[in-house]
Amino acid sequence: MKLLIIEDERSLLASIVQYFNQEKFLCETAESFEEGIRKIEDFQYDCIILDINLPGGSGLQLLKYLRQDKSRDGVIIISARDSLDDKIAGLDIGADDYLTKPFHLPELHARVKALVRRKYAEGANILEVGMLKADLASRTILSGNQPVPLSKIEYDLLLFLMTNKNRVVSRQAIAEHIHDGPSDQFPSFDFVYSHIKNVKKKLKEKGCYEIIHTVYGLGYKLAL
Amino acid sequence: MNKTLIQKNTRYLLVWLPLVMLLGSMIFYLLMSAHAHHMAEEQLGLKQKNIRNALAANPEMLNTHITGEYDLVKGGPVRGDLLHKQRDTMIYYPTDKTWVRFRILTEQFVINDQTYQLTTYISSKEIAHLIIKVFIAEIFVFILLLVAIVVINQKSSGLLWKPFYATLKKVREYDIVKDQSLQLAQQTGIAEFDQLNQVITRLIGNVTLAYSNQKQFVENASHEIQTPLAIIRSKLDLLINNTDLTEETAGLLADITEANDRLSQMNKNLLLLTKIDNNQFPDQSDIDLSSAVEKLLNWYQDYYEETPPGIERSIQAHVRVKANVSLIDILINNLISNAFIHNVPHGYVHVRLNSRELIIENTGHPIEGRTDQLFERFKKGREQSKTTGLGLSLVRRICQIYQYRLTYSYSDNIHRVTVLFEQG
Repeated sequence: MKLLIIEDERSLLASIVQYFNQEKFLCETAESFEEGIRKIEDFQYDCIILDINLPGGSGLQLLKYLRQDKSRDGVIIISARDSLDDKIAGLDIGADDYLTKPFHLPELHARVKALVRRKYAEGANILEVGMLKADLASRTILSGNQPVPLSKIEYDLLLFLMTNKNRVVSRQAIAEHIHDGPSDQFPSFDFVYSHIKNVKKKLKEKGCYEIIHTVYGLGYKLAL
Repeated sequence: MNKTLIQKNTRYLLVWLPLVMLLGSMIFYLLMSAHAHHMAEEQLGLKQKNIRNALAANPEMLNTHITGEYDLVKGGPVRGDLLHKQRDTMIYYPTDKTWVRFRILTEQFVINDQTYQLTTYISSKEIAHLIIKVFIAEIFVFILLLVAIVVINQKSSGLLWKPFYATLKKVREYDIVKDQSLQLAQQTGIAEFDQLNQVITRLIGNVTLAYSNQKQFVENASHEIQTPLAIIRSKLDLLINNTDLTEETAGLLADITEANDRLSQMNKNLLLLTKIDNNQFPDQSDIDLSSAVEKLLNWYQDYYEETPPGIERSIQAHVRVKANVSLIDILINNLISNAFIHNVPHGYVHVRLNSRELIIENTGHPIEGRTDQLFERFKKGREQSKTTGLGLSLVRRICQIYQYRLTYSYSDNIHRVTVLFEQG
């Protein structure tokens, strides 16, 4: 998988690169508008992560340029602007997804994975992690060959952990991922705990033991 | 109670003008009496002279007595104290059966070695009548004058102060938050009001500038803060995957993560408030409020897998409002999440919605401090350090935009927030 990350904040760029390198992505970086254009012209990427405020020009311009070229590269915009209009503008020009800063790296990772799957894995929308098998088209998860009866939130949660397998994912990242409303005020993160507990119980019933681990007070990890 | 300028002006006039006029009348009366007195004196003197001349010319032809005109006495006793002095006397007219007041003057003189005493008479009645008539006429004139002055003053004040009231109306309607410009008349025809308008225009210009600078500053600051927050968050996501994490560092990281998330949230809300202030949510659409509220409540039902507060709903179907989708989402979200956050164990949340109002009730501890500050920025409940303190001020701001009436009440451990969609 080849990834281009266009982001002028070097420190954030380093974090993204580090995270995706660990996920066995091949990462190219660009820190300015011109550099981004150059890299787009030279190579094909599975996914481009694009910041909007860049030195030398706007990420949206860059996206326009990319789409003129009929390039089908997947594009995820990461931006500090979070109004609906900005999102719509970005998606109209041809972005595939839009993520507002600050974001959690597992979230970005999940979005990239989902995008890549949508774009390239026609038909075969199956994610396998150990004995778990997620069918993304029908939104079901099988343990061995038995379907696990999950609620919508539980499915989202388990898929998120499967996508970020072998990594500690913070409670906050999980909370934000499984919550699709605009509210960011959570009464507490206890609900993450209770949903995890349910998922664990349901997996156990289908013969899948000890796959989700709690990491101190920090978060959870789906480990093989 | 305060009076308007014109009322006040009229009142001053009505108090002082009659006083001045009364004083004027008194002076007028005194002067007129004095003049009448003087006139009588002159006339008496003139009569003396005429009769004396007539006597000197033809002593035999003259009547010695004409009632009301004169008395001529030859020789006669001389009473020195009566001479050269005006006196009053009364004469009875039998034909009219009335007494008439006269003013008389007695002089003594010698003509052809004969001493005469002459008393001349002038009726006081006519003069007294004249004084009264003039005085009455004067009162009429004064009253006319008073009415005219008050009416003219009122009319002219109304005209004079018109630019002032126009300015007042515009300034009263001015709302800095609405980002409108204030147009005051440059030429009112009155120097003071021109000045006033200039001063107000300048003042409001400065205030607006300061306000928009402030907004710009908050917006820029919030935008700038997003990036370091994103960096911290990404580093934390990496850090918690560190293999040699001890329980102690994990605890520290958990605290940092939480604080950082709260900071992000606060910053987001602050940015949102500025955006609303900057009128960056102008798009309006027809929103099905009922389904939005239902969806949200369903989410909360799932959210609390265990021990949720009881959720009661009385939601009329297909209640629609015309507003911005994002803002309405924020409005109901913040209100409803607030009802869950500030709840008690085994409490409940009751949401009622109809076309007139949205009422959200929840159990909870009473609010400490002033409830009228509930919707201010950074006013927080006692134990809720995890909230940003901006949720309800966002709600208030949104209600202001759509002119919804937002009220809060508390009784019997129930918090009730009401959003009234229609006015009146």
